Amino acid sequence: MAYEPPVTDYDEIVENGTCAFCGCNCDDLDFLVKDGHVVGVRHACRLGASKVMEDMDQRLLVPMIRDENGELQEVDWDTALDKAAELIANAVRPIFYGWSETSIETMKHGIRLGELVGAVLDNQATICHGPSLQAVQNVGYPVATLGEIKNRADMIVYTGSNPMNSHPRHLSRYSTFPRGWFRQRGRFDRTLVTMDPKYSDTAKMSDIWIGFEQNGDYGFYNAIRAALRGKEIDQDFVSGIPKEDIMELAEAMKNVQFGALYFGLGLTHTLSKQRNIDMAIEMLADLNKYTKWVLTPMRGHFNVNGFNIFMAYEMGFPYGVDFCRGYPRYMNGETNTIDLLTRKECDVFMVIAADPGAHYPGGAVKHLAEIPVIQVDIHWGPSTEIADVVLPGSFIGVECAGTSYRMDGVPIHMKKAVDKPETCRDDEWIIRELHERVQKIKAEEAAVASK
Amino acid sequence: MKTITLTLKKKSPIALEFDELIPDKVFDWEKVDFEKYQVPVGNRRFPLTDYFDIEVEGDAAGPEEVKMILDGDFGRVKYIGCKMGAGEIIVNGDADLHCGAEMEGGKITVNGNAESYAGREMKGGELEIMGNTREFCGCSYIGDWRGMSGGKITLHGSAGKQLGECLSGGEIYVKGDCDILAGIHMNKGFIQIDGDVTRWPGGQMKNGNILVKGKLGILLEGFVYDSVVADPVIDGKSFSGKYIKYNGDIAVNGKGNLYLNAEKNREFL
Repeated sequence: MAYEPPVTDYDEIVENGTCAFCGCNCDDLDFLVKDGHVVGVRHACRLGASKVMEDMDQRLLVPMIRDENGELQEVDWDTALDKAAELIANAVRPIFYGWSETSIETMKHGIRLGELVGAVLDNQATICHGPSLQAVQNVGYPVATLGEIKNRADMIVYTGSNPMNSHPRHLSRYSTFPRGWFRQRGRFDRTLVTMDPKYSDTAKMSDIWIGFEQNGDYGFYNAIRAALRGKEIDQDFVSGIPKEDIMELAEAMKNVQFGALYFGLGLTHTLSKQRNIDMAIEMLADLNKYTKWVLTPMRGHFNVNGFNIFMAYEMGFPYGVDFCRGYPRYMNGETNTIDLLTRKECDVFMVIAADPGAHYPGGAVKHLAEIPVIQVDIHWGPSTEIADVVLPGSFIGVECAGTSYRMDGVPIHMKKAVDKPETCRDDEWIIRELHERVQKIKAEEAAVASK
Repeated sequence: MKTITLTLKKKSPIALEFDELIPDKVFDWEKVDFEKYQVPVGNRRFPLTDYFDIEVEGDAAGPEEVKMILDGDFGRVKYIGCKMGAGEIIVNGDADLHCGAEMEGGKITVNGNAESYAGREMKGGELEIMGNTREFCGCSYIGDWRGMSGGKITLHGSAGKQLGECLSGGEIYVKGDCDILAGIHMNKGFIQIDGDVTRWPGGQMKNGNILVKGKLGILLEGFVYDSVVADPVIDGKSFSGKYIKYNGDIAVNGKGNLYLNAEKNREFL
């Protein structure tokens, strides 16, 4: 890693900013501002800093509509919003996807719009922690805040997750390294365990690495549970792990004072999907007969948890909520974005603060290229290439204030540090404006129909 | 006896929902009623005649006298026979999601493949699928712990993942192969699989019976060997041959029984 001299050329420091990158939502950042731009960030990890520091070369600055030749042309806000509203109002199976990189305040208008037109509202959970949410619906959720874990935990388990690469400050700020009230010596008072088929960067710095075979999660946790129930394990190896190691691990997990299990996509997206989480949660229920154990999913985006909490609170379902029959419905495989796209059902797609063009499976992106796509975002990305209407939003936590939920469900107010570019609008304003315009079109349609 | 025939003339890319077209609701409908009817498609409703040619013959005093014949590819028609209580539905083609979901009586025959959630939360009646089905056949509503509680599903092809999830009664008979986690969380009922199973049947099962006639890939550690039984009788059905009997899943203090064909699964002995 090359040495980078500290940034000294700045006008002011905006303290206690919140990072708008991963689910850690680190709220101790100092933004160094010069001429209305963030030129440096203190305390953030490299991932967070590089996102928060503006990359104006990729910034979407003006509303655009794709013309007949397939080129995006700059238009004024009224034209772009009218075009988007018209597409949404005439859609039969619209999907509003994304929301995880915008504020709860924006989602509020999103729900109103979705209910009005009968759309499917879905967020990134559909391709990341959706299985965790399904498992939680089945077997509950022994949750704790990151602060509790920091102060109490003497065993930290990361399973199917590599926070050294994906959530770089997670170990240093919340779980392993910080000195807590009951863990005065920080790292020395804790045992770090990584369960991952890969010898990841987190595994390299762990005390124990359990490299079970790929797709072996369910069988492995089942064996731990069998061991916890006092069964002598029959098979010599379960999911590639010797039975002695499993017995030893079960014993070690029983004998801690406070254990915390963090799980990532390595657990949610292997063969048995939601049942891995289901099994892991039930394993913790077993361990709680002996000692205290909690678990937290390693959420990716800074507000992906926010959408799930908000939707579950408002509509009773966490993601993939379908309003097409006028009331909220939720069924995996039926009302989720990827399924609707690969089945070629969706006819208008609005993406808000997400990049399906970069992250979706090929079949889904192929269908996206064939249907009208409305993009509300701040950066030019693969989704812009397939978008027909582009509405430049603002950057929550830097250019605009908003509320987000951390991975453990703690709501955090993200404050504004600099002004947004003059030609951009707040996400909240854009969605509210779309709602009003669609409402107007629907009222006109109803008036014509009644005549 | 009333025969209602719907013949597909245009396949909609967006799935139609047939939860209102069950014998219980349409037994007294005439052809003109069907022609007036608008079927839910996405967030709209469109005339049924846009998609189907409709023929109605005979009269019915109740739903049990209704026979609905659905001709064509119904791969974009969801909720066929959902919540039906009596009568018969025959699909001459594929069926989409939730075929026979929450059905309480009557019979559905799918002469093709069925998508996921076939027979979800079924309470009674009979569902016969001549082809394959995908995930969550005979399962619960997402998050519920009570799945299919009665009736019978017969599958002539193979089943996908998590067959009979949270099964709390009834019988599922798979003549083909089965993917992972058959009978997960089940607490009652009987699953018979004639073909091979990839891995982990009966994960977290509390009670009930699973019988595998084919070869099993991976067995869960939560199952404890009980004995080798000859010609077992399960749920009133007798099976010839030797079967290895396991109890489980002990991870949930389960008292379920898993029978594996001893001949084909010698390595487990």
